Amino acid sequence: MNIDDLIELVEQHGKSIYRFCYKLAGNKADADDLYQDTFLKAVELRFKMNPSHNPKAFLISIAVRLYKNHRRKLAWRQRIAPTTEFDAAANSLDSTTSKATPEDAVISIELRTLIQDATHQLEDKLRLPIYMYYTADMTVEEIALALGIPQGTVKSRLHKARQTMKKALEVVSP
Amino acid sequence: MKDTDWEQLLRQSLSSTAEPEESLNQSIISELKERNQIKHKYRKTLSAGLLAAVLLLVLSLSAYAAVHIYSPKQVAENLGDQLLADAFESKGAIQVNQSVDSGNYRFTLHGLVSGAGLSSFKHSNEDIYPERTYAVVSITRQDGNPMPKTSDSEYGEDSFFISPLIKGQKPWQVNIASMNGAYSETVIDGIMYRIIECDQVELFADRGVYLAISSGTKFYSNEAFRYDEISGEIQVREEYPGSALFDLPLDTAKADHAKAEAYLKELLNISPSKTSSNKDEEWMNWIQDLKAKISNGEKIGSEIPESVKEVSYDKSGNIIYTYNGKRVTEPPEQLFAEGETGFSVRRLSISGGDDTYTATLFHKDENGLITGRLIQLEKGFHR
Repeated sequence: MNIDDLIELVEQHGKSIYRFCYKLAGNKADADDLYQDTFLKAVELRFKMNPSHNPKAFLISIAVRLYKNHRRKLAWRQRIAPTTEFDAAANSLDSTTSKATPEDAVISIELRTLIQDATHQLEDKLRLPIYMYYTADMTVEEIALALGIPQGTVKSRLHKARQTMKKALEVVSP
Repeated sequence: MKDTDWEQLLRQSLSSTAEPEESLNQSIISELKERNQIKHKYRKTLSAGLLAAVLLLVLSLSAYAAVHIYSPKQVAENLGDQLLADAFESKGAIQVNQSVDSGNYRFTLHGLVSGAGLSSFKHSNEDIYPERTYAVVSITRQDGNPMPKTSDSEYGEDSFFISPLIKGQKPWQVNIASMNGAYSETVIDGIMYRIIECDQVELFADRGVYLAISSGTKFYSNEAFRYDEISGEIQVREEYPGSALFDLPLDTAKADHAKAEAYLKELLNISPSKTSSNKDEEWMNWIQDLKAKISNGEKIGSEIPESVKEVSYDKSGNIIYTYNGKRVTEPPEQLFAEGETGFSVRRLSISGGDDTYTATLFHKDENGLITGRLIQLEKGFHR
C-alpha cells in the first residue's frame, strides 16, 4: 500500500476510526492525538497493509495497540463519568430522531449515560469489541482480524459484554 | 428488557456522531506526504554510504514484498493468450529468471518456449515456418519510478529493441525484424512485460543464441552491441546505457544444422535490408546521372513554364522559392559556390512517387539573379 492509498483511507474510514478513538480516549484532545498517531503509524506499516484485505480493521488494530501503549506509559486518566461534550451530539441526535415522548427521551438519556459508564468500566477484552461493533460499525469478522482472535471468541466476548452491562444496569436501576 | 430492545439501546448509546475536524485530516494528509519524502531521502543517503550492500538487500526484500512479479504464464494470460500461458507451464518451457542492471533499467529474462501452434494469435508467417519461439522479458526502472502505463502519454517514449541474436550471424541482418518477429506488451504495477516471438531459434542451439535488449531504439543498434566478425561473438558495449545480453540455455540436442543453414540462406537472400540497400544504390545512381546531365547542359525533363520564378530572400539571407504549395528555403551558398553561375547541381531536390518525379532546379545568371523552376522528369525511378 502506498501513501496515496493511505490518504484515501483517511477519507474513506476516517470517521469510523475517529469515533472509535474518541470512545477509547474519552475526550477530544486525546482522541485527536490517537487518531493522528494511528495514521502516522500506518505509514511505517503500510507495506504490511493490503488495500483489499480490510485496511479498516488494520487501522483499528493500530489504534488499539497505540491506546494500550499510551495508557501504560502515560497512565491516561480513566473517566468514570462521561463529559457533556462526549455525549451531547449523540444524545441530541437520538432525541430528535426517535419517536419517544419527552419523558421517554429523558429516561433514555439517563439510560445511555448509564450504558456508557458501564461500557467504560468493562475490562479491555470486552470493551474493545463492543466499541468496534457499535461505534466503529465493524463486523465480527473485521473485529476478529483487528484483534487477531477467532470470530467465535469475538462473538462470545460481545455476548459476555452485553450480559455484564445488563447486569450492571439492573443493579443501578432495578 | 427484550434482547432486541437491549441491542437497539446499546447501538444508540454507543454510536457516535463525532467527526475528525477537516483541519485535522488535512494535517494528517500533509504529514503523510512529508513522511513519505523523508523516507525517500533516508534511503538515498544510506545507499551512498557503507551500508549500501545491506540496504540493497533490504530494498530488494521490500520490493519483493510490495510488488508482485508476474510469471511468463501470468503475463500471457494477462495479454489474453491462454494457449501460450499453458505452453509456458509445459515441460518444454525454459525458466531463466535472470536480471541485468544497465543504465536506468533492470532487464529480466523470465523464460521462453518454442514449438508449433503455441499461441492463440497466429502469425501470418506460421504457414511457412510453423515453429516459433516465444520469450517473456520484463523491464523496470532503477530510479524507483514506474514504467509508464500503456494509457500514459509517456508510454512508448522509452523504446526497446528485444531480439534473439545468433552467434556467427551479423546481428543487423539476423534479428527479430528479419526473423518474422512480433511482440505484445503490457505494463502491470510499474513493470513493463513484453512477449516477443519469432521463427524458432532452437535450430541454432549448437551455435549459441543470445537474447539482446537495448533501450533508446526499436531496432538493432551498433552503438549498443559489438559484433566480432572473426569469432562471431556478440557483446554489449559497456559504455552504452541500457543494454543487456543473455545466453539462451537451449537444448543443443534440438539443433538442426542443415535446417538452420537452409533457413539462413533464404532469410539472407530475401533480406529486406539488402533489398533496401540495392534500391538506395539505384536511387543514388539515378540522381548522379541527372546531375551529370544538368552539368552537361542536357535536358532532364519538361520545364513547367509557370513555375519559373525569381526567388525572394528572408531576413537571414536564405532564398525562398514557392510554387503551387511547394516551398524551398535554402542558404544560397548551399546552391552556388562563389562566382558560380548556371544551374545548381550541388543540391538537387526531387519529389514524387509512383514513377512520376519532379526536380526543383535553381539557376543563377551573370547578374546574380537566382530563379527557381520545376522540371517534370522524363524517366521515372522504378522502386
